[in-house]
Amino acid sequence: MASVTNTNTAPPVSPEVLAKPAARALREALGDRVLSIEDFRGDLTITVERRAWVEAARQLRDHADCDFKLFLDLCGVDYLDREDRPERFEVVLHLYSVSRKHHVRLKTPVPESDPRVDTITGVFRGANWFEREAWDLYGIVFKGHPNLIRLLTHESFVGHALRKDYPTAKRHVLKSSKEVLVDIPPGSENLLVNIGPSHPSMHGTFRVQALMDGETVRDAEAEIGYMHRNFEKMAEERTYWQIIPYTDRLNYCSSFMNGHGWALAVEKLLGVPAPPRAEAVRVILSEFSRIMDHIICVSTNVVDLGAITPYFVMFRAREDIYTLLEACSGARLTVSYVRIGGLAQDVPDNFEALCRAALASVQEVVEAGDKLLTRNIIFMKRFKDIGVMDRDEALSWGWAGPCLRGSGVDYDVRKDHPYSGYEQYDFDVPVGTVGDCFDRYLVRMEEMRQSVRIVEQALAQLPGGPVITDDKRVAIPPKSEVYSNIEALMNHFKLIYEGILPPPGETYGYTEGANGELGFYIVSDGQKHPWRVKVRPPCYNIYQAFPHMIRGGMLADAIAIIGGLNVIAGELDR
Amino acid sequence: MGLLDLFKGKFVDPTYPGVHGGGNIITTTLSAMVRWGRRSSIWPMPFGTACCAIEFMAMSASHYDIARFGAEVLRFSPRQSDLMFVAGTIPDKLAPVLKTIYDQMPEPKWVISMGVCASTGGFYRSYHVMQGIDEIIPVDVYVPGCPPSPEGLFAALMKIQERIKTGEQAKDPQGAHRVGAAGAGAIDRRTRREAWAKDDAARAAEGKPPRGVLSLPVIQGSTEDARHG
Repeated sequence: MASVTNTNTAPPVSPEVLAKPAARALREALGDRVLSIEDFRGDLTITVERRAWVEAARQLRDHADCDFKLFLDLCGVDYLDREDRPERFEVVLHLYSVSRKHHVRLKTPVPESDPRVDTITGVFRGANWFEREAWDLYGIVFKGHPNLIRLLTHESFVGHALRKDYPTAKRHVLKSSKEVLVDIPPGSENLLVNIGPSHPSMHGTFRVQALMDGETVRDAEAEIGYMHRNFEKMAEERTYWQIIPYTDRLNYCSSFMNGHGWALAVEKLLGVPAPPRAEAVRVILSEFSRIMDHIICVSTNVVDLGAITPYFVMFRAREDIYTLLEACSGARLTVSYVRIGGLAQDVPDNFEALCRAALASVQEVVEAGDKLLTRNIIFMKRFKDIGVMDRDEALSWGWAGPCLRGSGVDYDVRKDHPYSGYEQYDFDVPVGTVGDCFDRYLVRMEEMRQSVRIVEQALAQLPGGPVITDDKRVAIPPKSEVYSNIEALMNHFKLIYEGILPPPGETYGYTEGANGELGFYIVSDGQKHPWRVKVRPPCYNIYQAFPHMIRGGMLADAIAIIGGLNVIAGELDR
Repeated sequence: MGLLDLFKGKFVDPTYPGVHGGGNIITTTLSAMVRWGRRSSIWPMPFGTACCAIEFMAMSASHYDIARFGAEVLRFSPRQSDLMFVAGTIPDKLAPVLKTIYDQMPEPKWVISMGVCASTGGFYRSYHVMQGIDEIIPVDVYVPGCPPSPEGLFAALMKIQERIKTGEQAKDPQGAHRVGAAGAGAIDRRTRREAWAKDDAARAAEGKPPRGVLSLPVIQGSTEDARHG
């Protein structure tokens, strides 16, 4: 059996790690309640005792040297039968500091005999659903959580599905859905309205239940999990390559970007970069995917408001982008075009011509959409000052991407932590001022224009060379070599049979998805399957805030808000 | 082609039985007339849940244009539709919703299962995904693909039109008794390892590695020979 090295035996804190202000601050504040501080592949990991969990989260948020205000992710990990771990479970929190441009990971071990830890919903509002999910999938109890019930799986489910001793394919049948989600005051005569799970304005399968007082929403509650198809459990039984098709189906409006993010996360874990040509092509296709995603968001949003023309106009550009993706990968929607360390194959000869055609089409439809909508008085009345989310609230909920920028926070992973060579391209990051639906719409429209700029620059300086790394541990040798020499044949055989074997450790790879920061938290034990994969889906945090945004507003405004948040069920529920 | 030609499904032949007055009068049965009407103006209900719904949108948008098949009146209310497109994965949590919506559609009704997830669960063989919607509702046409192309969907739509013409309709959930429908045969990881561990000692005595472990050594990093590392 491949030996599993102990990642916890490193000396608690090395001097260079302690030089990081966050590490020093937390060590001073908590003393020996900090168990270890490590730095692996640039990820700062702080492990604290369970009793210091909430205090540590609060320190990270409020301490002047930390300022980790953006809540990213919280998840559980199950280390069943792993001798190198002190306890069976671990709760992992990811935070980001917009001012210091730094990520941090906070962990605490949780024993199997008493799987309880204090809730941090009092520190970050966004932790609410994440803790429910950790309870649902791992059975970790969060003491003091306001509503610790199942979130992703249904109420007839038995067991905690992401525990290592839960069989992957063991299903439980649900006979009927939950009827009531909100608390109805006794004697109330208010009308209960279900929006979803199958509702045209929901763009997927999520459900909001609203308690109406006339046209006004008195109370609302959301329910998700209707598209929970177990990406994370499946990933634990697949090799690093085999996960690529699953990532395509996370945010299926912009499939390529998920694969891009996954490849970068694994490359970070492996320490193997992709060659420059592959990175440039990835950037081009990612930006086209971003445009596709924004087109869907904007055009279907206004369909819900009764304007179907922008949908017919703007969808034309998507077909041109599909043609481009199909020429590169053979598939229109779920492309599976990236590989760990590069791309599946080189782009076709007419790549540039196809890109130019798609670009022209995109520019045309964006301008047409702009003319149809931006100064349209009906549209403005439906969008302006509706669904306002202020800056601090957005950070606490863990918003990211166009929605966070609409609220005035200038955070774009492409600018602040450039990957795949984004530092070479000149582009602007649009930022809103009010944080309403109209700002989010404007940010998306401007991002499409900026994406066009990026693609043009990347096309102008598209480098030559290979499209996949020549590292033998990662990339399959070309077929011509496999057929002609024995080393390449053996290499091919071993890679197919054993898969990629990354070093033990854990990394958090993140990219700017169409909806915001798309993160992959990978825990590797050195074997061919990842031990744990946690997706940080951007719209999970965004949708979590939705019921709170619509309370007190009109029901029709709720429809305008939900479309502009661009919640994608596949990514939301994974 | 005129309206009457269409409903007969052929150009009017004056010598054809039922054609009188040089093609100006046609006698036919009421059911044939009704079927013609049904197949030429299908009102689909898109039950879109996942990736397939995006391709469904592509099919209904300007480029592919579902209106060419007379099926452009998408109804999001099951009570107004006669064809359901189930586009996307159906997890167990959504199953009662799908069943309710199917039951709300008035007879006669047809179902297209779009994509492999709706047809068989696809590559999601896991704890929360229904292994094909035909566990709970009847399906008329299955469209393969992940997701299927719009052309594939049009083929399915034309198949449905043929079925309407001949009066065929799926009646029972075909996969309700399929083996493994409720996740039978799933093996607990720990149980499997314990079962394998029983003959570890015997295998070690023979010099073999434990079950489930490959004895191949790990390839080391690239050496000086860049070509044949």
